[in-house]
Amino acid sequence: MQAVILAAGEGTRLRPLTRSRPKALVPVANTPILKYVIDALLANGIRDIIVVVGYRKEHVIRYLNENHLPVRTVVQENQLGTGHALRCAEPFLKDRFLLLAGDNYIDRESIARIKGERNAVLVTDHPNPTNFGVVVTRGGFVSEIKEKPDTPTGYIVSTGIYALDRSFFRYTVGQEVPDALQAMIQDSARVVPVRAVDWQDAVNPWELLEMNARLLPQIEARRAGTISRSSKLYGLIRIGKGTEIGPNTYIHGPVAIGDDCTIGPNCVIMPETSIGSRVTIDPLSYVANSLVMDDVVIGSHSRIIDAVVGEACRLQDHTATWTTGAVLEREGQFQKAAFGAVLGDRVSSAPFTILKNCIIGNNVTIEAGNTTVTGVVPDGAVVI
Amino acid sequence: MCGIVGYVGFRPAAKVIVDGLQKLEYRGYDSFGVATNNPSLQVFKCEGKISEKGSEAGCLHGTIGIGHTRWATHGVPSDRNAHPHLDCTGRIAVVHNGIIENYAALTRELEAKGHVFRSETDTEVVAHLIEDCYDGSDLRGAVEAACSRLTGSFALLVTVEGSETVVAARDSSPLVLGVGDNEVFAASDVTPLLGYTERVVYLEDGDLAELDRGGWRVYARGEAVQRPIEHVDWDVETVRKGGFPHYMLKEIFEQPKVFYDTFHGITEESLPMQYRHPSEITVVACGSSYHAGLVFKYLCESACRIPVRTELGSEFKYFTPPLKGIVTVITQSGETADTLAALKKARAYNCPTLAITNVLGSTVTRVSDHTLYMRAGPEISVAATKSFVAQLAVLMHLADLMKGDGEFAAALEGANSAIDEVLLLDLAPAVEICRPAEHLFYVGRGLFYPIALEGALKMKEISYIHAEGYAAGELKHGPFALLSRDTPVVALCSPGDTYSIMLSNIKEMKARNAPIIGIGARGDRELTDIVDVFIPIPESHELVQLLATSVVLQLLAYRTAVALGRDVDQPRNLAKSVTVE
Repeated sequence: MQAVILAAGEGTRLRPLTRSRPKALVPVANTPILKYVIDALLANGIRDIIVVVGYRKEHVIRYLNENHLPVRTVVQENQLGTGHALRCAEPFLKDRFLLLAGDNYIDRESIARIKGERNAVLVTDHPNPTNFGVVVTRGGFVSEIKEKPDTPTGYIVSTGIYALDRSFFRYTVGQEVPDALQAMIQDSARVVPVRAVDWQDAVNPWELLEMNARLLPQIEARRAGTISRSSKLYGLIRIGKGTEIGPNTYIHGPVAIGDDCTIGPNCVIMPETSIGSRVTIDPLSYVANSLVMDDVVIGSHSRIIDAVVGEACRLQDHTATWTTGAVLEREGQFQKAAFGAVLGDRVSSAPFTILKNCIIGNNVTIEAGNTTVTGVVPDGAVVI
Repeated sequence: MCGIVGYVGFRPAAKVIVDGLQKLEYRGYDSFGVATNNPSLQVFKCEGKISEKGSEAGCLHGTIGIGHTRWATHGVPSDRNAHPHLDCTGRIAVVHNGIIENYAALTRELEAKGHVFRSETDTEVVAHLIEDCYDGSDLRGAVEAACSRLTGSFALLVTVEGSETVVAARDSSPLVLGVGDNEVFAASDVTPLLGYTERVVYLEDGDLAELDRGGWRVYARGEAVQRPIEHVDWDVETVRKGGFPHYMLKEIFEQPKVFYDTFHGITEESLPMQYRHPSEITVVACGSSYHAGLVFKYLCESACRIPVRTELGSEFKYFTPPLKGIVTVITQSGETADTLAALKKARAYNCPTLAITNVLGSTVTRVSDHTLYMRAGPEISVAATKSFVAQLAVLMHLADLMKGDGEFAAALEGANSAIDEVLLLDLAPAVEICRPAEHLFYVGRGLFYPIALEGALKMKEISYIHAEGYAAGELKHGPFALLSRDTPVVALCSPGDTYSIMLSNIKEMKARNAPIIGIGARGDRELTDIVDVFIPIPESHELVQLLATSVVLQLLAYRTAVALGRDVDQPRNLAKSVTVE
């Protein structure tokens, strides 16, 4: 059995977090989504894995190399859709294969259920089917897949994970994968719907927080590094090597902390928080329900709640997030969502900044202190 | 400079050797050869790269063998001059890395005795010399007797038809044994061993080793000696190209981590007290390492007020200045011949010596008093990238320790992410300017002057475009005459003491119609306006800007070379480590 993982697309709806990495490489519970997919395949004995890379391909390849993941990579030079991406892997495929998206979480049990099928699609229930392909079944087989319908006819959606064989390539020319599958069904092919156990997708950046919270209970407990004896640690906690937890720091799991971090003294890390590697959290700060990426510095007396903080952000002292449920306009669409803040990479903020339900682009500098930032701030802006 | 591999065990020897030689191609790649002992001797030799023509050699039978990938020093690359070399009877096969200096005299002597030479190499003499000493049973004794007649540098592997052993000998050329279960390997460095074993034995100069299925025995001056088994923590994945099109790109992308690991791998304890407050420092190095040494000079002299002299290894050996204080040598491989010679000279002056190298157990670590390691992992691409950044990491930390106030360490906290940041840059417009050019100038001032030199070196060696690095102020003393619309200039213009004078230099160059690629801090409007292509790097401490700038210049050279269709990893006429003068 072989598997093809598509990791060539950027995942634009997750902007600003996809500037330096494709969505597949966005870390959730300190592990890129792509790694969960590969692990689920390996756990099912599927070792012949081909990852199609494109957008920021060097970063994906570097990650695969650094983590000794036994996969082959194929480059899709231009992002011409999923059908084209799959065709890039065609020379390596022998007969039957699984097709997966590198940017959606999938568990090993779901793979076990679908891997024995010749033509199948992994499906799940979703409360917002309009973002996905809605699957219509008849007589135990898939009769139609409606991509992102305005008026959905049901709540069963395709996870984008398929069991296929080489005959599928007859339909992929110039087509997206779901359309090709639709064409194959119309050609009277029998495609079985298989129910997924645990499949997750974060369409919008703030949805990463929910995914983070759901995946954190899976982490392996570990207490490497140097942990002060006067700190208090409760629940499931993973602390990487070289990390220092200062005195009187309180950590309540599930919490994942990477390597070489410096946290405390006198900090509080509350549940459902993941903190990347080489992160510094200065004294008297409070972090809860947040996803903090590598190389971030959070100044003292800060209060970071319900926030996604991109790589190498430097937040000075007394930075606070403020969770409200305002309406945001993003790329012409209005969306209502409750979260504290989403910060792209390398955002720097002056002391006493308040981040109120905002999405801040990459390389944004908030120069003046005592400001409240709301709404959507574009990449590279300077807030004065 | 060449690469050698030997194997005794149970696997098909030719396959192990061909795989191993491919990993050693960076040491030379103009021709190669393999001999197996089955128990009759089978030999395959071929001009060309082993990665292209190695499969045929892999078909030889037998589980004992030796192989060689060549870098021509005596005699042109050809099938005939490729190793292994045989004696007159065709029963003794020899592979050799190094140079036999007295080969001409020995050849005359042996020819007088009736030996017939087939090649133009210095190595063939070794085969005939061994034949002359060989009594039909004691191969080790014959090799020992032969080695005592040789002057020069050598790492040798010898096997004789019908025997079950390979004899290895080393003097001034690298050779390492790999120890497996019922098998033993020998190679110029550890890369061919990875994937088979992690247990290695580094041989000393003058050592002779006998390898057979039962194990290995080391002899020095005829006496059996013990050499410890060491574990190498490089695994085969880190040596592989992964999914990158070139080793160079792979190594460029590894730099954020390499810098972080190397910088943090050095601690207060890494540097003995006598090195903390030297009266003066002499740095000796070659190539990119020399440029890293120049950065150290600027850094240390201005920040620590310690006089630093940076010398080229090849000059230092013959024109040694009066020495006092510490002598520091920088060499990625730890085997650079000129640098080693300089080190030996410094020891003769009784100067405390400090080596900075990437290779554990390399020759330089055994000759110098103290060693600081870069944590770059194996560097395969001929053009130095991550080793240069790792050298800067070591030297910057060294300067920080000498300065004593932790300023540099604090400033460099975000360096890894700044390097990662510039890896995202789209350099296509700059590549478009460089690609058609026949000549390029790189200019910078202060700390950025060595970076300009290094940037030009990268461009020359992999794109074959003639590139010159200059201190920006020196351009007016001659090279200005060459500026025209066909000579693009890469100007390094980061904020700092020399920013405004750099700006006016750039305007002067612009007035001569030279297209300018400006590298400066993001958001620098003034610079953006006067240059043709502006490459922004994150605004930060001068040292971080310097690191980010050198990575940008590596990428610029790489992308230009790829656009020109060059063989990036193995540029013509160059080899990775220069182990001959």
